[in-house]
Amino acid sequence: MARVIVMDLSRHNTVMVGHDRYFVLHEGERSLLVRDHCPHRGGPLSLARRTPDGRRLSCPWHGTKVGVSAVKRSCLPMVRSGDEAVVVLPDTGDPVSVIHKEILANLPPDPTHDEGAESR
Amino acid sequence: MTVQPQAAPAAPRAGGTLGKRILAFAGHPLFRGDPQVVHGRNPYRRMLAPGSLAEADFDRPPGPGEWAAHRSLAAHRLLGTFYEAETVLLPEQGLDGLYEDFDLFYGPDLKELREGSVSDLERFAFGCLDEAVDVSGAATPEVLEAYFQHVVEEAAAGPSPALTAIAGARDRKSAADLYLVQLALDGLTEASAMSRNLAGAYGPEQSALFKIFIDEFGYGVYDAKHTTIFAKMLRSRAMATHVHAYWNFYLTGPLATNNYYYYLSRDHAKFFRYAGAVTYAEAVFAPAFVEMIKVFRDIFGDAVDLHYCDEHAHIDEHHGRITRDQVLLALAGRHGPRVVPELLRGIAEARLVGGWFEDDTAAQIRWSDDLPRHRELAGSARTGSEPPRRVVLTAESPFGTRCHDGDVVLEVERGEADLVTTPTGPPERLARGEAVLIPGGRLYGIRPATPETACALHAVPPA
Repeated sequence: MARVIVMDLSRHNTVMVGHDRYFVLHEGERSLLVRDHCPHRGGPLSLARRTPDGRRLSCPWHGTKVGVSAVKRSCLPMVRSGDEAVVVLPDTGDPVSVIHKEILANLPPDPTHDEGAESR
Repeated sequence: MTVQPQAAPAAPRAGGTLGKRILAFAGHPLFRGDPQVVHGRNPYRRMLAPGSLAEADFDRPPGPGEWAAHRSLAAHRLLGTFYEAETVLLPEQGLDGLYEDFDLFYGPDLKELREGSVSDLERFAFGCLDEAVDVSGAATPEVLEAYFQHVVEEAAAGPSPALTAIAGARDRKSAADLYLVQLALDGLTEASAMSRNLAGAYGPEQSALFKIFIDEFGYGVYDAKHTTIFAKMLRSRAMATHVHAYWNFYLTGPLATNNYYYYLSRDHAKFFRYAGAVTYAEAVFAPAFVEMIKVFRDIFGDAVDLHYCDEHAHIDEHHGRITRDQVLLALAGRHGPRVVPELLRGIAEARLVGGWFEDDTAAQIRWSDDLPRHRELAGSARTGSEPPRRVVLTAESPFGTRCHDGDVVLEVERGEADLVTTPTGPPERLARGEAVLIPGGRLYGIRPATPETACALHAVPPA
């Protein structure tokens, strides 16, 4: 059976489920709860900046580019109504907490980003 | 009548094409109102306050936080009228004397205006839901079930703001009547929106929905029909029972709630959203009516006929189960994950719009129950530097109600006026020089108590 948690998006933007962290990624008008985990070595994508075209996140650990659409596909089921978001989690038994963290991934694309940095 | 300058600069403020079409509709003689506070036994006439409508900017839809704005009230009054013109309304006493109004209401001129405006007006009135709600993530039937269970438990646990406001009011009877009027909006034409989703062929879910519809219609027995027993409840309170007698007292939130189900039902692309919404509604009705019975019994004892509430407290337990298992979850199972986000959205939107109903009704009860304090607040309110808008009323002026986007101080400059804020409570008499603060979003009407009454409306800038 699933578990339900309620977040106040005006106060919280991050959910911890056991050792896994999820953050609220803004995509246009929508808010998505995505895994804060770079598929390369697990870097914190919440601290990634968008590439100038806005389509990828540049992981702060190793500069790996992760497509925003791929990150979006990993999002947890969530229904947002105003500032309230109801999130449905699998019932793994892990402790859950809701916090506020700095999210750089929601800032506008980084104009200083060097497209070739990770390949050097 | 409505509070407005007699020569309002209507067209320039009403916005572009939609505004002009709407003004043409609302300016029709059927919708100009008459001096009576309660509408007569004529379902085709209803006050659309064309003067105050002219102030509304129909180029700028209300945002999610503006559901109580004046233009939202104006839009929902119109939308409700549009939708009902797609249903059959006949006066109980017969059409004698009303043939002409029947022809006008359903006739080609208004029909053309309606059909040319309804989609734009829906986008105007309900566009804010697109911003207010979103559904994300892999929505499976399991997620749907978990979310649904969560919101239903939450609704069952929480007190109703409107019923809490009634219980805490000084004049509990008037407050309870005001609540009944909000229910009357749907109660006297119950299940009309739902009827639009019964046609077609969509399997056992269609039959499940039809069972509910049959219950609403009393299995074809007029005395058992839900609208009939709703009228009994009104009659026990010595209130009028004809459709939209209390049109002037429908609040924005209840109008939006009622219209929401028509909005979904009119467009079958929104069918799955409708299924989510109706399932939520049926699931939360039963506990709500149990609470209503307690509050009303406490106020009126045995003097009120609560058969309607008893019926719903009972039957909606079954309807809640049927819609959940045989409509909502069955549709998700049969049609797959692609439809689940729409089912979830319908639940979330119904919950949100239902919250508008509750909050609006509670706020109106609190304001109309505490007018002496609003007289005091008028004395200390800082009005802006803008010159006030002036209104002159006579005994022949049509009566209408409205609200304002922000706080306003109403001052009687000449003659005397009755401030009307509830359908059955005593009006508040305002003598020359007296003033009252009308909070933003609160509904009111003014009735002249002298042959000629002049009022000034001073806007109060936000603090």
